[in-house]
Amino acid sequence: MEPVIQFEDVVKIYPLKAGDVTALNHISFEVERGEFISIMGPSGSGKSTLLNLMGCLDSPTSGGIFISGIGIRAMNDMELTNLRRDRIGFIFQYFNLFPLLNVIENVNFPQILKSGKDVNPDKAKEVLHAVQLEEQFYSHTPTELSGGQQQRVAVARALINDPDILLCDEPTGNLDSKTGASIMDLMTELNRKGATIICVTHDPTVAKYSDRTIRIVDGGIAS
Amino acid sequence: MIFWEIAKRNIRIHMLRSTLAMLGIVIGVVAIASMGILGNSMVATVSESLKSVGDSVIVTPYSGGGGGMGPGGGGGGSSSASLKITDQNFQQIKRVAAPNVAIPVYSTSDHMKIGVGSDDIVATMYALPTDNVPDIMKLQAGDYNNGNSGCLVGSTFAKDHDLKVGSRISIGTNGSKGTLRVTGIIEERGMSFDISTDNALVVTPEWFENTYDRNKDYDEVVVKVKEGDTATVKTNIEKQLNKHKDNKVVSVTDSKATLASIYSTFGTVTTFVTAIGGISMIVAGVSIFNIMMMSVNERIKEIGIMRSIGTQKREVMSMFIYEAAIIGVIGSIIGGIFSVLAGYVVSALMLGTTKYLFTMANALSVGEGICFGIVICLACGIYPARQAANLNPIDALRHE
Repeated sequence: MEPVIQFEDVVKIYPLKAGDVTALNHISFEVERGEFISIMGPSGSGKSTLLNLMGCLDSPTSGGIFISGIGIRAMNDMELTNLRRDRIGFIFQYFNLFPLLNVIENVNFPQILKSGKDVNPDKAKEVLHAVQLEEQFYSHTPTELSGGQQQRVAVARALINDPDILLCDEPTGNLDSKTGASIMDLMTELNRKGATIICVTHDPTVAKYSDRTIRIVDGGIAS
Repeated sequence: MIFWEIAKRNIRIHMLRSTLAMLGIVIGVVAIASMGILGNSMVATVSESLKSVGDSVIVTPYSGGGGGMGPGGGGGGSSSASLKITDQNFQQIKRVAAPNVAIPVYSTSDHMKIGVGSDDIVATMYALPTDNVPDIMKLQAGDYNNGNSGCLVGSTFAKDHDLKVGSRISIGTNGSKGTLRVTGIIEERGMSFDISTDNALVVTPEWFENTYDRNKDYDEVVVKVKEGDTATVKTNIEKQLNKHKDNKVVSVTDSKATLASIYSTFGTVTTFVTAIGGISMIVAGVSIFNIMMMSVNERIKEIGIMRSIGTQKREVMSMFIYEAAIIGVIGSIIGGIFSVLAGYVVSALMLGTTKYLFTMANALSVGEGICFGIVICLACGIYPARQAANLNPIDALRHE
């Protein structure tokens, strides 16, 4: 089966005035559909750069990146944006919900972007039910929810367009251990149902939930 | 659409800031539209005053200057006592102007007294053939046929001196030139280029010639143009009477051309004062630009999230354009409503009338003010919106 993410000899260099900084140095790996992978490494190792490249937020300096078989290097901004919208779901450490929108509207947001018009909230309710958020909170704004509830809404938003990949950046980094564990249980459940999950984390507890861990050190894969 | 909803909610949560920005636009629209209304009302007022003279050609003796208004327009003939239009010239004018009516006019100023023991006053007197009086003026009371010692009086003159049909006026110092009986009151004519009757007397040529020892040497000739246009009549008279460039006989004024020149001047003044009003609109635009930039800066992270989950640049841009448009449309419409009120007050105070307020020209001025307000808001929202749309998603996501 075709890998959902494929990195081929990827190099990422940031040209700075003080001199070029090589963030990723000839990295190659693949992620198969349905895998749960964690990416670990010390600060400044290149984890965030790797996440940005996997999330199509940035382009490599050299090498090839393929998302579900589609090469992203030659894509323009509009094509990369559409790829992010349709095939990638983002989950952030600080939840990053839209403060002006209520729960249903937050979850529906990517679906509205995809359809170009207002959509029926049924699917959003379905996904919110899947991430175990009680219906009484659907009309609440993010500031009226707890951290764990906000992260569940963020997961629902990431899932709404049925993406190929869920990219998580320290998904439990802003939660207490009990809530963090419940979120990771949710991730495991989603993975068991077929979702491909890539989790960037410092936390070994989070890494334990994954099938495989990629360790990054000084811009290269250590193991 | 979701971006429209977000724009609305962002305005709502920053109500004070948005209201202040709207207030700027309101003031800008009021300044522009009310100045436009004032200008239009001034033009309408002057047009109303001058409408009766739009079809006249006025011929006065050539004085060597720039021509222009003759003794009638000036309200007195003493300054050009030695310059007259001869009967021969008048006959030439009459032939050239035919089939239009050419009316010979005498004019002078003299002392007069109304009633026993009243103060001595000085007023203008015109003399023109009784048959031609209806061509120039209408009466609000009495009769055109004023007889040899009868006279018509202007409405303002009659009102100021409490004159009625049948009243008597002694002409000359201590009545030395006889007494005239008022046979009619002339309707108000306002300003005019031919003869200004509102504050004057109109007498018969026979009485005038006998009293002032005049004999077919006229102060001006008024041609009422009913057929053809005033410019052609003017050219024809000049060609006929001013054959020699160095020896001009008459000055000819085309009232329509003079009116056009007056309207053009009013148009320039209106444009100028409206432009001054436009400065306040530019200040309002700067304020809109400022709050839009603040809005973008406050929402950098939100923009980063939007972009990262698949929002196109144009969609981010539309969200900020909607915000500017909402402020612009609401502010401009409120400004439009207030500008009608301001136009009412300004017209009432400066022109003394509001009867020209609800005209098409004023509706256009209000419409222009509203459109200008909206355009300024949108123009000032474009740069911040582009800034927001072009933010690097990674940098925006990292923004605290």
